[in-house]
Amino acid sequence: MKFFDCNACFGTFMHRPIRFAETARKLLREMDFYGITEALVYHARQCDDSPVVGNDLLLNSIDGFDRLHGSFAILPLQTGELGSLESILENMRVKDIRAFRAFPAEHKYLMTRTALAPLYDLMVEKNIPLFISVNESCGGISGWYLIEKILSDAPDLTLVVTEHGCWGHDRFFRPLIEKYEKLYLDISRYELDGGISDFCGKYGAERLLFGTGFPRWNPGGPILTLAQTDITTKEREMIASGNLERILRRVKL
Amino acid sequence: MNVSPLIKEFLEKGRSESCPVIDMHVHLGPFQGIYFPNPWPEDMIRTMDRCGVKMVVSSSHAALIDSRENVKMAEVVKKHPDRFRAYWVINPNYPERIDKEIVKFSKMEGFVGLKFISDYHRYPLTSPRYEAALKYANEHKLLVLMHTWGNSAFDSPALVEKLAGKYSEVTFLMGHSGYGEWEKSIQIARDYPNVYLELTAAYAVNGVIDWMVKEDGSNKIVFGTDLPWFDPHYGIGCVLFSRITDKDRHNILHRNAEELLKHYL
Repeated sequence: MKFFDCNACFGTFMHRPIRFAETARKLLREMDFYGITEALVYHARQCDDSPVVGNDLLLNSIDGFDRLHGSFAILPLQTGELGSLESILENMRVKDIRAFRAFPAEHKYLMTRTALAPLYDLMVEKNIPLFISVNESCGGISGWYLIEKILSDAPDLTLVVTEHGCWGHDRFFRPLIEKYEKLYLDISRYELDGGISDFCGKYGAERLLFGTGFPRWNPGGPILTLAQTDITTKEREMIASGNLERILRRVKL
Repeated sequence: MNVSPLIKEFLEKGRSESCPVIDMHVHLGPFQGIYFPNPWPEDMIRTMDRCGVKMVVSSSHAALIDSRENVKMAEVVKKHPDRFRAYWVINPNYPERIDKEIVKFSKMEGFVGLKFISDYHRYPLTSPRYEAALKYANEHKLLVLMHTWGNSAFDSPALVEKLAGKYSEVTFLMGHSGYGEWEKSIQIARDYPNVYLELTAAYAVNGVIDWMVKEDGSNKIVFGTDLPWFDPHYGIGCVLFSRITDKDRHNILHRNAEELLKHYL
C-alpha cells in the first residue's frame, strides 16, 4: 500500500522536538524507515518564522526531491509581505505548489473574510486545499469553533484539519463533516478504537487522509492503525494516498 | 523500510503469535467527554482479537465516578477470565468509604491492584486520603496504576517519587509516563525498582520510547491504551516503529507485564 503523508514537517524548530529531520534528505530517510512513499510537507520556519522567510526556505530545501511536495504558509495580503495574489499564484505555478497552510496563532491574523477574502476566493476558484491544525487559534477563538468559523466564511473551501487529537473529537467534527462537503480530516491522531471504520461506515472513506504529524507524533501509530482497521482495501488505499492525490490533482494553477 | 520480522507480522496479520500483547491500562463502558464505538466487554474482546491483545487490566469508567461500581469489574473478570483482570478505583473524594472498600477488595477475585486518577479526583497522590489504600497495597505487594501527568499539582512525577521510596513493596505503574515530564519520569523509573513507565498516550510522542529505552532499557516499560479509548494498533504501531530491538518490543508489549501479573494469571 502506498502511503502519501499529508502532514509532515522538517527543518530546525524553535522548540526542539525529541526526534526530527533537519533537512529534506533526512526527512526522506525517516519516510523510508516507515515505508512512506511521498509527503506533502512544510518547513519548520514557515510556522516558527515569517512565511516570507519560511516559504522560500521550503522551496530551496525540497528542490530536486520528487517525493516531497511543498505547501505555502499564508498571511493576509493587506500587509503586502507575500506580494500580490497574481505573484503568489505565479510562484505556485512555477514551483508546482498545490496547497496552503495557515498558522494564525503564530502569525497573528484573523481567519475571517475581512482578512482573507481574496485568498479564500482564490482557493475556492482554483480548488487549492488549505491545511490547518485544530490546535490553532486566533482572535480569541480556537479549535473546532475556529474551523466552523472558517467554513462558514468559505463553505466551498477544501479544508483539511490536521492533528485533531485523541481525547474524543467525533462529537465536534461529525456535525461539520455532515454540513461541509469539502472538509477533510487527517488521521495522524485519530486513535479512537473503531473510529476510522465507524466513520467510513457512515460517511465513506473520501473524507479521511493519511497524515503523520511528523516530527511531533510517531508515524507508526497511524500506519498500523490504517493497515489493519476494519475497512475495505479500496477504502484503505483511498485514505493512504488516493484521496490526497485526488485533491492535489484537482488544483487548477 | 524497517524490516523487523515483528513489524512485518503485525502489518500483514494485525497480530503476532509470538507477541501476545498485554494491555495494563484499560477502562470499560461509556464516559463523559467521548464517543466510543466499542465500549463494552464483548466489543473490547473483538478489538483485542483483531489486534492480538491477549489480556487487559481494566477499571470501569463508572468506578472512576462512584467507587461502588468497582464490584462490577469482578463480574467481567469472572465472565472472561482469560481476557480481563481488574483494578479497584480509589476515589479520595469519599474518604469515609475507603476502609470498607479495602475490605471488599480483599474478598474479591480478579483484581490485581488499585487505580488512582488524581488529576480527575483533584487530590494529590500524597494526600492523606490515599494513605490507607497505599498502606494496604504495600502490605500485600499490590500493583497501583496511577494516572500521571507532567507538572500536574495532583499526579506529577515528583509526587510519584515521594511515594516510591515510602511504599517500596508497591509496584507503581506511572500511567501515561508522567506525560511531558519525560526526563523526570525516566529518572524515577531508573532510580526506584518498584516504579514502571506505562505508555498510554505517551507512545504517540515521536522518539519518547527510544529515549526511555536508551536511558533505562526496556525492562521497566509496560504497554497500555486506555481501551475503549484508543485502538491498540495505534500504540502497538508506535512501539514497533520506535528505534529499539525486537527484544525491547517484546519486553514492552508483553514480557514485562507477564512478570508483573505472574501471580494473577
